Amino acid sequence: MIEVLGVKKSFGGVRALRGVNMEVKAGEIHALLGENGAGKSTLMKIISGAISRDEGVLKIDGDEVYFKNTQAAKEKGIGIIYQEFSLVPELSVAENIFLHQLKNHLFIPWKKLRDNSRKLIAELGFELDVRKKVKDLSIADQQIVEISKALSEEVRLLILDEPSAVLGPAEIHKLFRTLRALQKRGVAIIYISHHLEELFELSDKITVLKDGVSVATVSTGETTKDQLVELMLGRSLNTMFPDRTHLQSAKHREVLFSISGIRVPGSNDPVSLKICSGEIVGVGGLVGSGRTELLRAIFGADPQSFKKVTKRDAILRVESPKAAVRSGIGMVPEDRKQHGGILECSIRENISVANYPKLNKGMGFIRREEENAIVAALKEKLNIKMVALDQALKDLSGGNQQKVILAKWLNTEVELLLIDEPTRGVDVGARAEIYQIIHDLAESGKAILMVSSDWEELLGLPDRVIVMRKGTICGEVLKKDLNEEILLRMAIGEEYK
Amino acid sequence: MERNTISRIKDFIIEHNTVLIFVVMLVFSASMSDSFFTLNNLSNLIRQIAPIGLMSFGMLLVILIGGIDLSVGSVIAGIGVAFALLSYEVYFPVAFALSLLIGGGIGVITGYLIAYQKVAPFIATLAMMTIVRGLGYLFSKGAPITVGVYSESILNLGSGDVLGVPYVALILVVVFGILYVVLHYNVFGRLLIAIGSNEEAVRLSGVNVRRYKFWVYVIIAVLTALAALIIVSRTGVGTPNIGVGMELDVIAAVVIGGASLSGGKGSLLNTLLGVLILGMIGNIMNLLNITSYLQQLIKGIIIILAVVFQKYQK
Repeated sequence: MIEVLGVKKSFGGVRALRGVNMEVKAGEIHALLGENGAGKSTLMKIISGAISRDEGVLKIDGDEVYFKNTQAAKEKGIGIIYQEFSLVPELSVAENIFLHQLKNHLFIPWKKLRDNSRKLIAELGFELDVRKKVKDLSIADQQIVEISKALSEEVRLLILDEPSAVLGPAEIHKLFRTLRALQKRGVAIIYISHHLEELFELSDKITVLKDGVSVATVSTGETTKDQLVELMLGRSLNTMFPDRTHLQSAKHREVLFSISGIRVPGSNDPVSLKICSGEIVGVGGLVGSGRTELLRAIFGADPQSFKKVTKRDAILRVESPKAAVRSGIGMVPEDRKQHGGILECSIRENISVANYPKLNKGMGFIRREEENAIVAALKEKLNIKMVALDQALKDLSGGNQQKVILAKWLNTEVELLLIDEPTRGVDVGARAEIYQIIHDLAESGKAILMVSSDWEELLGLPDRVIVMRKGTICGEVLKKDLNEEILLRMAIGEEYK
Repeated sequence: MERNTISRIKDFIIEHNTVLIFVVMLVFSASMSDSFFTLNNLSNLIRQIAPIGLMSFGMLLVILIGGIDLSVGSVIAGIGVAFALLSYEVYFPVAFALSLLIGGGIGVITGYLIAYQKVAPFIATLAMMTIVRGLGYLFSKGAPITVGVYSESILNLGSGDVLGVPYVALILVVVFGILYVVLHYNVFGRLLIAIGSNEEAVRLSGVNVRRYKFWVYVIIAVLTALAALIIVSRTGVGTPNIGVGMELDVIAAVVIGGASLSGGKGSLLNTLLGVLILGMIGNIMNLLNITSYLQQLIKGIIIILAVVFQKYQK
């Protein structure tokens, strides 16, 4: 039904797709597997006509096609369902399904509309009240409406972008039934997900995408989970983290920062903690347990009245981010787009922004040569992939953006670096590099306090992990005693002895 | 290939729309009236646009950080009245300096409200707009005040020149030069753009964002006070009802110059072109004896054109 041959696509200097081959037959459920940033979305956007390819061939039924827009792809029978549905919440099920035909009518042919909708939904093996407004349906039912809508548009290839992400187990089952019904009608399906279990249950074939290249297409029956993981990551998990075992026994370390009296909103117990030079401390806990608030409070981003911070026993006043930076504290916020990076500004400016006092040669004029030298050195050191230092930050991939924000703090005399979700939205390759950067920082005597929701990361990198619950620290585990179960039990408040 | 060329031309037009509108206006003006390109008319044009120019430079800084200042028209009136009153008491240099100081004082209040009390710029400057206008009326008792004998030498500022270049043109060039250097080579300018793009990220990088916001409002107020003095130097009176709606012309100039009202994007040179474009519309219409009603229509159309072009910029 559809063939993709050697498709390539670049955005600015970033090569999102570097040669993708994929073939999907009618009546086949073909899974597309890959880490964030592997190029899955880009590939799907090309197939559905949302963007154009730079190189390569796209064939439908053997004929090469160029789609000018999504409408052109639709006419060839290609439909795509994104995670965010494109339904109109205030309209009824029937209206949504036949939305594309409504413009042909002066008056809405209600009876015909409803009958046809019911028929379509029944063909998928379901029953819905087609008079209900879409906003009153469950997410799973909304998905059925989306699929019915695609059917009404005579779809022959349906792409689903991580459809299970928004669904519970029972609803996923419902989705699978729907997809099998579609399969029986001869519709080809591309199913994007990184949940391996689902793919084994549902798909006929799996294509693995890594760094913009289709590394393999395998029949689901002839592969194993381990093989897929290795294809997807290009390495096994335990090589992701730098080896820190030789460091953990070091008891002679000096306490660098000592922090106390921090009150996280919603809790009355003050939080205190100590952190040594050269130490990586992880902060675990559920979302909403006050981890981000703790980091922000230490950094002075939110006002705190009873906070006490000492560095090597000297009392610091850290009532604002500016004071924090002066005291040698830096923060990499959780939300890169809102709080971390200045997306519209250049890489150079993003790296320099915390360092202007040092670059100032008087009256606010910048020592240009020095700045260029520093920024270029950091670019090399952190292996930031970019076209030019004047490039806007928004043109970089997530991993490289994160490296730029780390570079900003490496550029200052930071001694305690607070990192909130170091690798959120970062692809696998860059993730290992970021762990190495954090490790190197600690090696050079800095103290690192990192919040993470990624269990692997929390188990792999820090020397010890403190766990937060309801705004207070409920426990602390050393690396040698760490496992996922302990962390989870502490985070949800179950006793563990 | 041909397609490529066309799209490149299109990109060029979109990218440099302010310059193109400027050139079109220039060619149009020159072809419509023989007296446009005379030294007399050009120096007259510069004198006319200088006050709006100074205010627009200040407004560009404000708009770069994502703010707005609606009070500039009132400050023109308030400072005009203040200078006229002072001119009966003290000599010109003192009156001049005091007027700028009062302007700065107004900016300090606005800047304090916005930067430290977190009042929305629209509201804070709206309030200052009526307050300053009200003070102008109160102090002048509602009537224009002729400049007093002590400070009559201000009239030289408006009419005088060095080697045929009007003083006011020099002021405009000097201010332009200073701001150009600040925006392109100074931390202050760089941080303004960064703050306009993502204020929170800049704050979390350890920069005292409030201080920069505060100073921007002081700068625009001082520049507006300077503009007010230039206007007084041409008319010889301080008038409490002058400058109504002037803030809109100023904002329009900055927008025609391609700045984004949401902050983080704008250029000083293009702002100057925006000022010149607006100035030329008025100038050529006067030369051609066309009613000022038409001027407003054409101004509006040019604003729309400029904004539509911006939409297509990447």
